[in-house]
Amino acid sequence: MKEVILDCLGEACPVPLVKAQNKLKELEVGDVLIVQIDHSCAMKNLPEWARKDGYNVEVEEVDDGEWEVIIEKNK
Amino acid sequence: MAREKKVEYYDVIIIGGGPAGLSASIYAGRARLNTLLIEKALIGGLATYTNEISNYPGFPDDPKGEKITNLMKEQAKKLGVNFKLTAVSSVELEGEEKIVETFRNKYIAKTVIIATGGRPRTTGAENEEQYLFDKGISFCATCDAAANTDKHVVVIGSGDAAIEEGMFLTKFARKVTVSVMHDEGIMDCNEIARQAALANPKMEFVWNSVAKRFEGDGHLETVVLKNVKTGVEIPVNCDNCFEFIGYLPNSELFEGVINMTPQRYIPVTEKKETNIEGVFAIGDVTDKWLKQVATAVGDGAIAGTAAERYIAEKEIFDTCIMQKEKQGLIYVYNAIDVPSREFLTHIEAIENENKGRLIVNRIDTYKSNGIALKLGVEKIPAIVITKEGKIVGKLYDLDKDQVINAL
Repeated sequence: MKEVILDCLGEACPVPLVKAQNKLKELEVGDVLIVQIDHSCAMKNLPEWARKDGYNVEVEEVDDGEWEVIIEKNK
Repeated sequence: MAREKKVEYYDVIIIGGGPAGLSASIYAGRARLNTLLIEKALIGGLATYTNEISNYPGFPDDPKGEKITNLMKEQAKKLGVNFKLTAVSSVELEGEEKIVETFRNKYIAKTVIIATGGRPRTTGAENEEQYLFDKGISFCATCDAAANTDKHVVVIGSGDAAIEEGMFLTKFARKVTVSVMHDEGIMDCNEIARQAALANPKMEFVWNSVAKRFEGDGHLETVVLKNVKTGVEIPVNCDNCFEFIGYLPNSELFEGVINMTPQRYIPVTEKKETNIEGVFAIGDVTDKWLKQVATAVGDGAIAGTAAERYIAEKEIFDTCIMQKEKQGLIYVYNAIDVPSREFLTHIEAIENENKGRLIVNRIDTYKSNGIALKLGVEKIPAIVITKEGKIVGKLYDLDKDQVINAL
């Protein structure tokens, strides 16, 4: 049950999404992936993709225009 | 083992953070209601998918949708609105306590405002699912335009969104091919956009066509269009495809709970009420004629105010009007109606004669008829008699003796 932080600050679509997809594959069930983003476009495709794939997703707004997308690999 | 969900209480929960939800939160926040807004992704909703908003009053410089919604968010935050960025997993809306659950929390509120909006409709063409989002099919030119610099993109649709966003794409892409269902020259968009698009040298049109199939090894390479008249397939090699063919309501969460139209939109009253008491719906998820940022904001203002009124009336109703200690008399009248106003002196006399054992409430329906509706009176004026917090009689004649006999 580890927590992995993926730094995608400064990166535009679709880089954060692709990086997160690859990283999540490496993780085990129960692990949590935290993707740090600051491009609002990634706030649209990243949570939507993760939820569509059936993972639990929550987003924290760390600062104005800076978010952490928390994805739990629950399956 | 799943951990116990954290429970939080609010006056108002708004589901959805687009312009409608943000506007409702501003009104609720300003009415000093404890307000929570839940958004599953980016605050701003579908407005953030638009690169230029030219018709929202007060912004003459054609800002990006996100700029407008970020200002709304800032305003809501200033008014004390709480934001939570997560998806709602289930709702229980019947009864006094409305329950909204996310995967980690349980929120309980007096009122719920549904502002879940809509999402882009997809074509339903073959293999579409395989190429969504990062694999070649996009719905957001604002998000993905820069990634298409010097590329060839296909746009499907000919409405305002398709043509305006398509023209925005020509600033980046080498070529934009637009698939239009109609005969040559006919588009669903406004006339200004149509003429500009036809004159744009980077734009090409495939008339009488719809998407038939998507092809490519991993990433989209070819959109196969089909001529709707001849049935002939037209393969178009491209780097990415943008679909702008309308929207579907995000109402799945309320299926079987809230009344809906056959197209799954939520019908609402003038006050944005749904069929469930204390539950309101606003914006693109409702059955309405014009879906714009400007109309969504109007909806939000109404629902935010209606929610405040609902809570206030409910509190007065429960604690004062339906009090249990003594016998109650509720006089429901309209202050602009002379006979019912004149009868107030008789009500006062009855109150004085029964001092200590009768509690009298006067409800003026001129401003709001919410309490009258709750009491279930058939017409106004009316006199409602209660005993131990329950209605025991309703009188519709302004006759003092009749009232005294009923007590």
